[in-house]
Amino acid sequence: MLAKKPKLFTYGQKYLVFKLFAFLFLLTFTIPDVVVAQGAGGQEEVFWLWKFLGRLHPLAVHFPVSLLIFAALLELFTLTSFHSKLRPGINLLVLAGAASAIIAAILGLVLANAEDYGGSVLSLHQWTGIGTALLGIMALTALWRISQKETKGGIKVYRSILFVTALGVSVAGHFGASLTHGEEYLTSVLPWNEREPLPEIDITAFQTSSGSMSEEQEVKLVGQVRAVFAHNCYNCHSAAKIKGELRLDGKEHVFKGGESGEVIVPGDTKNSELIRRINLPASHKDAMPSKGKTLGSDEKALIAFWVEQGAPWPEAAESQSVFRVAELAPRNPPLPTSKNGLENPVDLWVNDYFDKNGLDWGDPVDDKTFLRRIYLDVLGVLPSPTDYADFQDDPAPNKREAWVAKLLSRNDDYAMHWLTFWNDALRNDYTGTGYITKGRYAITDWLYTSIRDNKRYDQFVKELLNPGEESKGFIEGIRWRGDVNASQVTEMQAAQNVGQVILGLNLKCASCHDSFISDWKLEEAYAFANIFADTTLEVSRCDKPLGKKAKTKILWEELGEIDSAANRPEKLRQLAENLVQPSNGRMYRTLVNRVWKQLMGRGMVEPVDEMDNEPWSQDLLDWLAYDFVENGYNIKDLIYKIATSKVYQLSSVGYEDPLFLVDEDFEFEGAIRRRLTAEQFSDAISQVIYPVFDEEAIKFDPFELTKQEEGRLEFVRASLVANNDFLKALGRPSREVVSTSRDSQANLLQALELTNGVKLNNALKNGAEKWITQYGDKDILIHESYRQLFGRDPLQREFQVASEVLSETPKVEEVQDLFWALLLTPEFQIIY
Amino acid sequence: MRLDWKRRDFLKKTSAAAMATMGMGAPLGGLLSSCQSGTNIPSTADSVILLYMAGGMAHTETFDPKKYTPFRKGMESKEVLSTFPGVPTALDGIEFSEGLENIGKIIDRGTLIRSYVAADLGHILHTRHQYHWHTCYEPPQSVLVPHIGSWIAKELGPLNPVIPPFININQRFTVGEGEELKAFHSAGFLGSEYGPFLIPDPTAGLDSVRPPVGMSSKRFEARNELYEKLVQESAMGEFGSDYQKESLKRSMEQAYALLNSPEAKAFDFSQEPKEKYDIYNTGRFGLGCLMAKRLVDQGARFISVTTEYEPFVGWDTHENGHTRLVDMKKMIDNPIAQLVKDLDESGRLDRTMIIVASEFSRDMLTEGRPGAQVKDQVEVPDIIEDLKNYGMHRHFTDGCSILMFGGGIKRGHVYGKTADERPCKSIEKPIKIDSIHQTIYHALGIDPETNYEIEKRPFYTTPDGHGVAEMELFA
Repeated sequence: MLAKKPKLFTYGQKYLVFKLFAFLFLLTFTIPDVVVAQGAGGQEEVFWLWKFLGRLHPLAVHFPVSLLIFAALLELFTLTSFHSKLRPGINLLVLAGAASAIIAAILGLVLANAEDYGGSVLSLHQWTGIGTALLGIMALTALWRISQKETKGGIKVYRSILFVTALGVSVAGHFGASLTHGEEYLTSVLPWNEREPLPEIDITAFQTSSGSMSEEQEVKLVGQVRAVFAHNCYNCHSAAKIKGELRLDGKEHVFKGGESGEVIVPGDTKNSELIRRINLPASHKDAMPSKGKTLGSDEKALIAFWVEQGAPWPEAAESQSVFRVAELAPRNPPLPTSKNGLENPVDLWVNDYFDKNGLDWGDPVDDKTFLRRIYLDVLGVLPSPTDYADFQDDPAPNKREAWVAKLLSRNDDYAMHWLTFWNDALRNDYTGTGYITKGRYAITDWLYTSIRDNKRYDQFVKELLNPGEESKGFIEGIRWRGDVNASQVTEMQAAQNVGQVILGLNLKCASCHDSFISDWKLEEAYAFANIFADTTLEVSRCDKPLGKKAKTKILWEELGEIDSAANRPEKLRQLAENLVQPSNGRMYRTLVNRVWKQLMGRGMVEPVDEMDNEPWSQDLLDWLAYDFVENGYNIKDLIYKIATSKVYQLSSVGYEDPLFLVDEDFEFEGAIRRRLTAEQFSDAISQVIYPVFDEEAIKFDPFELTKQEEGRLEFVRASLVANNDFLKALGRPSREVVSTSRDSQANLLQALELTNGVKLNNALKNGAEKWITQYGDKDILIHESYRQLFGRDPLQREFQVASEVLSETPKVEEVQDLFWALLLTPEFQIIY
Repeated sequence: MRLDWKRRDFLKKTSAAAMATMGMGAPLGGLLSSCQSGTNIPSTADSVILLYMAGGMAHTETFDPKKYTPFRKGMESKEVLSTFPGVPTALDGIEFSEGLENIGKIIDRGTLIRSYVAADLGHILHTRHQYHWHTCYEPPQSVLVPHIGSWIAKELGPLNPVIPPFININQRFTVGEGEELKAFHSAGFLGSEYGPFLIPDPTAGLDSVRPPVGMSSKRFEARNELYEKLVQESAMGEFGSDYQKESLKRSMEQAYALLNSPEAKAFDFSQEPKEKYDIYNTGRFGLGCLMAKRLVDQGARFISVTTEYEPFVGWDTHENGHTRLVDMKKMIDNPIAQLVKDLDESGRLDRTMIIVASEFSRDMLTEGRPGAQVKDQVEVPDIIEDLKNYGMHRHFTDGCSILMFGGGIKRGHVYGKTADERPCKSIEKPIKIDSIHQTIYHALGIDPETNYEIEKRPFYTTPDGHGVAEMELFA
C-alpha cells in the first residue's frame, strides 16, 4: 500500500525563502564596503547605526548555534525514519537556523568592520561563520530537493550537510568566543592546561570585616599586583623598554601614568585606563597586553580589587620580591624511610616524589641498554662486544654498581668525555674570537688535569675564581679590539659567567640596567663585577656612564664581605673563599643539577642556568647538594650515586614535543632520551670503524702532560680537536659564549653534512677497507657491524636487508654504504 | 571586503607546514616564544640577495666619486680625494667612479644610498664591523646573535621547500680571522637549522648539493634505500614514534630530497649558456652572483654573496689602494650589472631585493670618523712619492654607499649625500644599520617588533626594536 508522502514545504514558503536568501546573500558582500566607506577617509567615527547593528551580532549568533545544532540533534534521533512526526519541526528549525546564520554573519561583518577587530582568529571566525551560513542554505536546498523528488541519496546528502553545518556552527562559535574571551578561555580551565602558577590569588584573603586592610595585607596585595605586572607588562613597560611612556616597574611610575595620562585612579576602576585596557577583547587595538597572553580573569579581578581598595602601596612593599627566589642556604631534608627494598637515597627521594604525584615505578632497562648508556654517560664511548659479553656473564648481584665504579676509575677516558661538557660551560676552546689580539687564554691543561684527578669541586671553583696562570682564562674572558659596550667589559663578562655557570644566575640584564626578569639591580651587578676589576668600575646604564663608582660586594650579603680597598688578587681570594663555603647552597645545587642533567637528559631545575626556577623535587635537589658537600665535593661520587640508583636504570622517556622539557608542570618518570653529541658520535665511529681525526688534528694531547710512557691515545678523541665543520654541524657550539646544554635535534644542514660531508665519508671509506681485510666474509662482516655498533646480533630481517647489498666478498663501496646506513639509524643515534 | 587572511600569516602558516613536513621544526626554535605586535605589513619582496663588499669599500672610489686628483710624485696626501675620474651614469647628474660603467648603466633600476653611517666601535676591526652589519648588534654580545639571513629564514622559512632558506656564498673560514667570521655566520639562539648553508667556493658549489664525490647517483639512491629499509626493519621499531627519532628521519629525508632534486641544478653552471657564464665569470664573486641568480630562479629566500673577507686582501686595501681597486671594480662591475638585468628581464626583480653594501668606507687620512678618530693602522706619508701610497688606506665610518634594487625599491632614486670636501662624510639623511635592516624586513613583510624571549628577555631583530624602515626608499 502506498502512503501519500507529506509535502515538505508549501509553495509560499519556498518563494519567501528564496527571496530572503537572495537578499541576504547580496548583503553579505555589500555591507562591509558600505561600512568601510563610512569609516574611510581618516579618523571619522563610524556611523552609530553600524556600530549598533554590529553589536547585535553577539545576540544574534545564539540563534543559528542553538537552532542548527538542535535540528541536527533531532535528525540524529530520527535517523531510522525520515518521515517521523518530528519532520515539520526539524524543517522549520533548519529554515530558521539557516536564515539566522545569514543574519548573524552579516551583523558579524558589520561588527568586524565598524570596530577595531583584526587578526587571524577573526579571520577564522569570519570564514567559518560565513561558511556555516552557506552550508545552512545548502542544507535547506537539499531539503527542498527531497520535497521535489525523494531519493535515499538525497536524504543522505541533506543529512550530511546538516551535520557538517552543526559542526561548522560550533567551530565558528568557538572562534567567536576565543575572540571575545581570549584564545585560552576554554582550554585554560582544563586541569592539564593550567596557567602559569602565580602566587595563589585569593582576593577573599584581603577582605576584612572592618573593610580596611592591615599593612601586611596591603603589602601582600600590591606584591601580587606587581607580580602580574612583572610577568605580563615589564617587557614593554619598564626601565628596559618604555612604550607609550608608561612604566609599571615602581610605585612612582605606576601612579605617574603614561602618554595618555594617569592609568590608575585609586578607588575608581571606571576611570582607570589600565583597568579598561586589560579588560578589552584581545583583538581590540587598545587591548593590553598587546603581546603575549591576555591576563587571566583572576589576574584582572585582582588588579580591579586593588584599584577599588584605593590602590594601596605601602613603603614596606618595596622589600617584597615579585620573582621566585631560591633559598641560598643548604638544606638537609631527612631521608624518607626505606620502602620497597629501596636503599639508594636518590631512589628514596624519587619514590617519595612518585608517591606524592601518583606516579609509578617503570621497568628497569636490560643489561645491554644499561651498559651502552653508562659507557656513553661516564666515558663517552661505546662498550665493545667483549664488554657486553663480560657484563652479561658477570654473576655478581651488584654488577651494575661494580661496573659504574670500574668505568669511573678510567681517569683519562672519563676526563676526555667530561672535558667537552666543561669546555662548553667555561667557553674554553683552542681557537676563537679574541685570539687575534691576544685577548683570550686557554685553560685546557688545567681543566683536563682537574677533571682527570677529580679535583674537589670547591677547590676547582677556587682556582677558577682566584686563578693562577693556568686557569685564568675563565675570568679574564674575551678582550676585543676596539670599544665594547659597558656591559661587555671583561670584568662584567666575569660577573655574568660566574653568575651563570657557577651560581645558576642570570646577571646579563642587570649588567645593563635594573633587571626586569629578577630583582637584581644594576648596582649589584656592578658591585659583583668590581671584584674582578683592577681599578674601580664606573657604573653605566645602557652604556651611558652614570658618573658613579661601583661598590664592591658579593651578590648575597650572607656570604660575607669583600674589602673594597684591597687589590685585585686579594679581592679574588676573598671572593673564592666566600663563594665556596658550604653555606652557599645555591652553588652546590647548581652543580648537582648540571651533573643530573648530563646523566638524565633534563635538570631537576630547568633551564639549568636559572636556579631560581622550581625543581620538580626540591627535596632531592637539596639532599644531593648537601650530601655532595658532606662527601668532600666529590663529582665522581655524585655520578656514582646517581648512576647506581634504580632511577637511572629506568626505561628512557621519549617525547613528541620539545616543549615538554621546559614545561613548568614537567613530571619526572625517567631519563630523557638523548641523541649522541657530536663528540660521542665521532668517537663511536673512530672507535669502531676508523678514526675520524688523525693525529695531526690533535690540538691538545693529555699524555704530553703526564709524561707517562704507557699513556697513549687509542684514537683521537673528538674533545681534543679544534672545532670544525663536522663537529659544528653535529652541534658543538662555537663557545663564543658559555653554553650549558646542547641542541640535540637533527636538522637539514646537519643531515647534509652527514650525507655528503667529506670527513664522515672518508672515515667510512677507510674503515670499509680495513674491515674487509679484517673480516673478509660477508656474513661475518654483517654480524660484526651489528655487534660492534649496537651490541647485538642482527635480526633475521635486518640481516636479510644488509646481505642483499653486499657481495659474497664485499666491496669497499658496499661496506661503506652499510656503515653509513647503520650509523644514521635512530638506534645508533639515540641513547635509549 | 576586508580579507583578513594576511599574507604574512599565510606565509607563516604555509612555511610552517612545509617545514613541519620537511622536518625543519626546531627544538630551540620550538622552545622560543615569539612575539609580534600583529601589525600587518604587505610584503614587496620574497627574496633577498646581499652582495657584500668585504673589507671596506671606499665610497669616493666607487659610487660617490669626488674631485679627481690624479697621481703625481710629490703630491700631498691631503689633496687626494678620488683616485679615479668620475663617469656618467644612467641618472642625470650622478657619476660613478671609472670602472663601474656597467653598474652605472643600470642604476636607474634601483636606488643609490650615499649616506650610510657605520657604527663607532673604536679601534677598527673589520670582523667586528661585519658582525655588526650582518646581525645589527655590536659585538661582543652575551648571547649568540642571529645573522639577518637566519632571522629571515626563521620568520619566513624556505620559499621553495628544498632550497635552504639561507645560503652563504664565497666566504671561506680558513682565511685569517676565520673564527671571528664564524661568530656572525650563525643562527645564534634561533637554532642551527636556521644557520647558513655554506658554499665557500661557487665553482665547487655543486659538490655541496650532490652525492659525495665519487658516488654515482645510482649508488646514492641505493644507499638511501638501504638506510630506509634498515630503519624500518630495525629491532628498535618497538619504541615507536619519538621526537628525536622522527626529526632525525625527517631531516635525512630532506637532505636526500635536496641532493636528489631538480632544483639542485641551480648549482650547476654547465646548465648556463656560455656567453652568459662568461659575462659573470670574473672569478669566484662573479660566479657567486650567477649562482645567486640561478638560486633565486628556483625559489631561494636569502642569499649572501661576498667578495670574501681576508685581512689585507680584496677591498681591505692598506696599500696600493688605487691599483687594487682597478681589479676590484673589474670583479664586481659586470656580474652585479648582469644580475640586475637578468632578474629584471625575467621579472623576478619585482619580488627580489638586491643589496650592495660594505661594513664601512675608506679614506686617505681619516681613521674612524671626524671627531672620533681612532688608532691609525696605516702610515700615510704627508708627501706621496710612490704609487703604492696612493689610495684609500684608512678605515672611514662616516659616509658609505649602498645600492638597492628591486623588491619594491624605487627606480632611479638617490638618497642622502656626502660632503664634496674631506672629510667626505654624510651630510644629508644619514642612515644607520638598524634602519637598513628594518627596511629589508619591511620589504619582506616581517614585523619590526619581531622578537623572541631569550633567557627571559625579549630579543628583537634590531637592538630593542630600534630603527625604522625608510619609506622614501620604496616605490
